[in-house]
Amino acid sequence: MSMYLEMIRVRFLMMLAYRTNYYSGILIYSINIGAYYFLWSAIYGGKEEIQGLSVAQMTTYVAVAWMARAFYYNNIDREIAAEIKDGKVAIEMIRPYNYLGMKTMQALGEGIFRLLFFSVPGMIIVTLIFPVRFDASVTTWLFFFISLVFSFIVNTHINLLTGIMTFFLFNNTGLIRAKRVVIDLFSGLLLPISFYPEWAQTVMSYLPFQAISYVPSMIFTEGFVGQEIYHALLTQIVWVIILLIPIRLLWSLAKKHLIVQGG
Amino acid sequence: MFYLSLFFQYASQYLKTRLTYRVDMVIEILSDLLSQGVNLIFILIVFRHTAFLGGWNRDEIIFIYGFFLVPYAIFSSFFNIWDFNERYIVKGEMDRILTRPVHSLFQIILERIELESLFGAITGLLVMGYAMANLELTFVWYDILIFILMVIGGALIYAGIFISIATIGFWSDSRTDIMPMMYNISNYGRYPINIYNKVIQFVLTWILPFAFVGVYPASYFLNREEWYGYAFFTPVMGLLFFGIAILLWNAGVKRYRGAGN
Amino acid sequence: MNVIEVQNLRKEFNSYTSRPGLAGAFRDLFTRNYKIHAAVDNISLTVKQGEMVGYIGENGAGKSTTIKMLTGILTPTSGSIMVNGMNPHKQREEFVRTIGVVFGQRSQLWWDIAVQESFRLLKKVYRVSDEDYNHHMGHVIETLEIGPLLDKPVRKLSLGQRMRCELAAALVHNPPLLFLDEPTIGLDVLVKLKIRKFLQEINEQYKTTILLTTHDLTDIEALCERVVLLDEGKIIYDGRLDQLQEHAVEGKQIEFEFLSEVSRSSLPRVENIQWEQKDATTWLGYINGDEQMVSRLISDVVQKNPIKNVRINEVSTEEIVRKIYEEGMALT
Repeated sequence: MSMYLEMIRVRFLMMLAYRTNYYSGILIYSINIGAYYFLWSAIYGGKEEIQGLSVAQMTTYVAVAWMARAFYYNNIDREIAAEIKDGKVAIEMIRPYNYLGMKTMQALGEGIFRLLFFSVPGMIIVTLIFPVRFDASVTTWLFFFISLVFSFIVNTHINLLTGIMTFFLFNNTGLIRAKRVVIDLFSGLLLPISFYPEWAQTVMSYLPFQAISYVPSMIFTEGFVGQEIYHALLTQIVWVIILLIPIRLLWSLAKKHLIVQGG
Repeated sequence: MFYLSLFFQYASQYLKTRLTYRVDMVIEILSDLLSQGVNLIFILIVFRHTAFLGGWNRDEIIFIYGFFLVPYAIFSSFFNIWDFNERYIVKGEMDRILTRPVHSLFQIILERIELESLFGAITGLLVMGYAMANLELTFVWYDILIFILMVIGGALIYAGIFISIATIGFWSDSRTDIMPMMYNISNYGRYPINIYNKVIQFVLTWILPFAFVGVYPASYFLNREEWYGYAFFTPVMGLLFFGIAILLWNAGVKRYRGAGN
Repeated sequence: MNVIEVQNLRKEFNSYTSRPGLAGAFRDLFTRNYKIHAAVDNISLTVKQGEMVGYIGENGAGKSTTIKMLTGILTPTSGSIMVNGMNPHKQREEFVRTIGVVFGQRSQLWWDIAVQESFRLLKKVYRVSDEDYNHHMGHVIETLEIGPLLDKPVRKLSLGQRMRCELAAALVHNPPLLFLDEPTIGLDVLVKLKIRKFLQEINEQYKTTILLTTHDLTDIEALCERVVLLDEGKIIYDGRLDQLQEHAVEGKQIEFEFLSEVSRSSLPRVENIQWEQKDATTWLGYINGDEQMVSRLISDVVQKNPIKNVRINEVSTEEIVRKIYEEGMALT
């Protein structure tokens, strides 16, 4: 366990080492949220509410969705793909840790870093400029953080899956790119799921993506209340468990692949 | 002339390699199509809940998106430098580039062409055609020339911004995540500029002029006369930003530290 | 004619030190400790046409940095460089057409395409005419025995095969000056010999000037009459290789292996001999003097002590260089 904690710490140090990244990161996050705020104000025009969300809730939704993204987003799929291509994975395999576990921990370190040092300063700037409301109750904050942890796990699972796919495809960049686009749309980052037509909502309810962004953002903006919260958290947990299966399967296949092909 | 023949040499070499990995190419084209589809879906869904966006209707916004896809496709085919820092500076590939008698930026452009991205231009034309039919727009023969000029201007703006960002690698050896984030920002030029506040309007017009790759030039074809001034400024901005990028690049090459130091 | 003229060349790198720990890393976000370090420290050097020069030094001594300045990759901090009558960095594109570069640890060839396709691309890049190409490269391909490899993609080649192709790729435009940075790293002896033979040939045939850095000093012994030794960015020796051998190690080394343990006191005390014990029964005698001393010493020692074996050791360049770096002796 302490080994994995060390991984988180090292990742933290690595992130701190990149100064340009840090400063530009805060700025760009703020610009992003700002642009979306105006986009949504324009979409609302004069309307009081759309699909049960007021402008203020929508703005908060967007801000929270981006803040959450800072936490769950990571590039471990690209990293795994690169390590597989360079043949570094073979070396990683003989080290005394679980490769996927280590990648997850690195992602977690990165996520915590981004949350604390990008999102929080970014949020402070955004609240100063835009009418974003962070006065949610303690229980809402609590539920939000619980669901944020699950959204991290679901997203990381999906990233691990896309990363491992590199073993079976010659060039994985297309798939990785496609995955990113799909997650942005179907996770509720760009649009709350409730904005979609009924049939699309039904389809999406069978996909893991809304567990990534829609659930935590809706919990925070109190678009979900009472039973709905528990139901949403449960859905997240179910996806956390279900996604483990293809990861296990593909990973053991990949390991065989590695032994046969020698990297 | 020499540069042109060199371009064809690289391009044919590129096609040869690409055709060996056909599956990859298909996946890449599909993933491009997918991301274009996602952006369209966003617009379509938003307009389920509103009739106008800052005074522009659905088909106009779709037209802007369609227009945007054309310069963007050209940019992504020829200026694939989003991983310049990792690939050329951290790994030291720049050393090799600098030992060859061709301008270093041109070599990198040649090495990184991704011609399949040009398919995006076709999507863009189709999307524009669809919106034009709905809007019952007409055009005259010289509009085609203006279109080409605007597209080139837009592609040069994109190239200028991303090359300038890539040159940060010459001054700072640290990894940066600015590139992917910049792709997010570039999306905002596709929406009517008047929906934003003054600061963001200013940024999207003069600092990171992505509005010149979407809404400004498209407004010419949409007969939005209040934006004509900006629309015709597109090629100028393109040359200006591309020129600045080249200057930054040349200054950066002098600062290059080499790998492993 | 001087091919390379370098005066007071200096290259500084600005680096920062990281503070330890998380708290330190956090402080580094706001202020950093910067430090200037001269990788190449005021060196001057001239190389004549047709020379083969070995450029040696430990890791970090500044070899690569010098080569990169000479090839126009890096801009010097100060000092002047003239190579092939041009300023490498200022006239880069014109200049690099007159040199060939091989980086042993970095491929010049395109990974996915066949070797000859890479050659064709380079031929275009260097604007070589068909006539020149066929005449010159035919010979290179033949000598390096890479004909059968030409239609294979680079990623399928072994290191030795790839290295020979790299060398050929650097010669597509038949440059009068060749920079080789670690060209034999990781190669087996046979390939090394092939490459050395080839380099000697082009040096004789075209009067190609060659500047070579390597870890393997046997390369230098086989190829270079002249060596330049670099330490901490400064040139500590520049001259003939055989003189380095004569100067650095005074005379010869004789290894005596006795039948039983021998103490220092039972060995002859002569002014010009230094003794060093290797193990209980073995002593090394360093002779500083003429050839006659050797036979006199051997006869002296053998008379007093029962001998198992006596060996006269020639000192290798590697040992000389090691000695120079360890003992810090500067030679001029």
